[in-house]
Amino acid sequence: MSRVLIVAYGNPLRSDDGIAWRAADSLDKKFPPSEVEILRVHQLAPELAENASRSDSVIFIDAASVPSSLPGEIRAEEVCPTLCAGPSRFSHVQTPQDVIALAERLYAARPKSFIVTVAGASFDHGESLSPSAEAALPILIERIVGIVRTFLQQKA
Amino acid sequence: MPHPNTIVIDPVTRIEGHSKITLHLNDEGRVEDARFHVTQFRGFEKLCEGRPFYEMPSLMARICGICPVSHLIASAKACDSLLAVRIPPTADKLRRIFGLAQVTQSHALSLFHLSSPDLLLGMDADPAKSNIFGVAEKNPELARDGIKLRQFGQKIIERLGGKRIHPAWIVPGGVSEPLTEANRDAILWSLPDALAIAERTLEWFKSTMERFREEISTFGNFPTLFMGIVKKDNGLTFYHGKLRIVDAAGKVVADDLDPTDYAEYIGEKVEPWSYLKSSYYKPKGFPDGIYRVGPLARLNVADRCGTPRADQELAEFHELQRTAVLSSFHYHHARIIEILYCIERLEQLLNDPDILSKHVRAVARPNALEGVGAAEAPRGTLFHHYKIDDQGLIRWVNLIIATGQNNLAMNRSVLQVAKHFVQGKRLTPGMLNRVEAVIRCYDPCLSCSTHALGRMNLQIQLVDADGTVLDEVARA
Repeated sequence: MSRVLIVAYGNPLRSDDGIAWRAADSLDKKFPPSEVEILRVHQLAPELAENASRSDSVIFIDAASVPSSLPGEIRAEEVCPTLCAGPSRFSHVQTPQDVIALAERLYAARPKSFIVTVAGASFDHGESLSPSAEAALPILIERIVGIVRTFLQQKA
Repeated sequence: MPHPNTIVIDPVTRIEGHSKITLHLNDEGRVEDARFHVTQFRGFEKLCEGRPFYEMPSLMARICGICPVSHLIASAKACDSLLAVRIPPTADKLRRIFGLAQVTQSHALSLFHLSSPDLLLGMDADPAKSNIFGVAEKNPELARDGIKLRQFGQKIIERLGGKRIHPAWIVPGGVSEPLTEANRDAILWSLPDALAIAERTLEWFKSTMERFREEISTFGNFPTLFMGIVKKDNGLTFYHGKLRIVDAAGKVVADDLDPTDYAEYIGEKVEPWSYLKSSYYKPKGFPDGIYRVGPLARLNVADRCGTPRADQELAEFHELQRTAVLSSFHYHHARIIEILYCIERLEQLLNDPDILSKHVRAVARPNALEGVGAAEAPRGTLFHHYKIDDQGLIRWVNLIIATGQNNLAMNRSVLQVAKHFVQGKRLTPGMLNRVEAVIRCYDPCLSCSTHALGRMNLQIQLVDADGTVLDEVARA
């Protein structure tokens, strides 16, 4: 059981939507697998609840398409640990809240969880990031490294 | 703004893809016709033209995130034909293992994540609770089993192919890497738990059937043909064999059909109201040549499974009706029996003495300009047909996907359910859910069958005799 689970999600063939995977590539080299497990997925699915239940803490990384955000803007917030009711609950398109709520309901686990997003500028076909996302990438990585270290120190 | 005499359901939820349903009423306000419209655009066949043939398996896998392995297998088999090679026996077995793992995880997704809310909570349950969270609340063990079974299949795919989605391990001529002893042992170690889940699920499902008598009698319960690939001994298979077609009485109407000659007996009709073509059995014409594929069809055409527990369950399944098993509600039942078969068959293949052989790929240049690959995907028979030029570049592609082959039956099923359950000019959640639930029985993959990417929704319309939209239901 790793102590921190990082879930990098998005589509690496859709430009900035792949920023989480790019961050994961760098984070791979920064922590031992016994401490930090990194998963790359296209979207969140119920199965991740089981992975989350085996970790002390979970960090979700995603590209955001938010009109009110500036491209490259990074936001980090704690994931609401309770199930937030909503009209749309497609069983294979889920939110970080869904994953954490399922982990609690099915496995009685309540890992501390954060979602870190980067506002994307382009979600067109392509494997490269937009200039604003490329510029945000090292800042994103440092931000996540900081969160991971905090998690690890809390448990040390 | 919908016409006041039409009911629209949009989107149909808990399916793979985007579509809508319209229900048309006669002068008495009763359902007279129903249509299942697939609103995604089909594009992959054109997109591939000009690409080198050896890219096809990887390109085709991108059609779907749920069953990329089926497209890999059918595509690689078509490429094997272009190379005119016989792949090494171990590669053949490894491809089968890959396919069985995928069927298991895909069936688990359909049953546990998409349909179990209907089966556990009932067709009239609050739509806000008809999801995996509702299942987790009512029967957490069932929800955990679904998660574990999907992980089981995905983990095998990851062990063999390097990743869970879009692995490129299956290649023209075989597979790219042999199976390691460590991975074989790890998979073998995981089989007992998976088998226990399959057994538990089967027992649970059978215990629920009595509650769904009305649905069983009205969910696509009509005569059609059934088609599937079978082995030489007419046993169940997902990888290779001949095509067999049985009629509603269970009588074999066509046997030993070479999948390569599919165009001689399968026709495709385009309807102006859907991007999904409708396949039919040519000798009977359109629409009399309506046939079904997938788990229900496979168990109707197969004489045996070839594994002990699945064979017991198949015998019991065949007892459900003296004829072929007609109700599409029984797709669920067939799906669980196939999961059982997959797990048992995985054990047989993994214990094969040659399974760790390093000889897993035949290498050749193209030796034919045309190739067809066929296999059984989770949702039914899948055909990939390619033509290349002298440089090995793709010049023409035709794909026939399971969901298209079930299109006529899905439309007729929606009509049967709507006629039985939809009364008056307003839809209740229970009516709506049953119209959706019959579609879920087929586990359609609209992204596969139209080869489009992206959108995942559906809608239902109720239309009167004048074409007026009476009601429309759409979910964001």
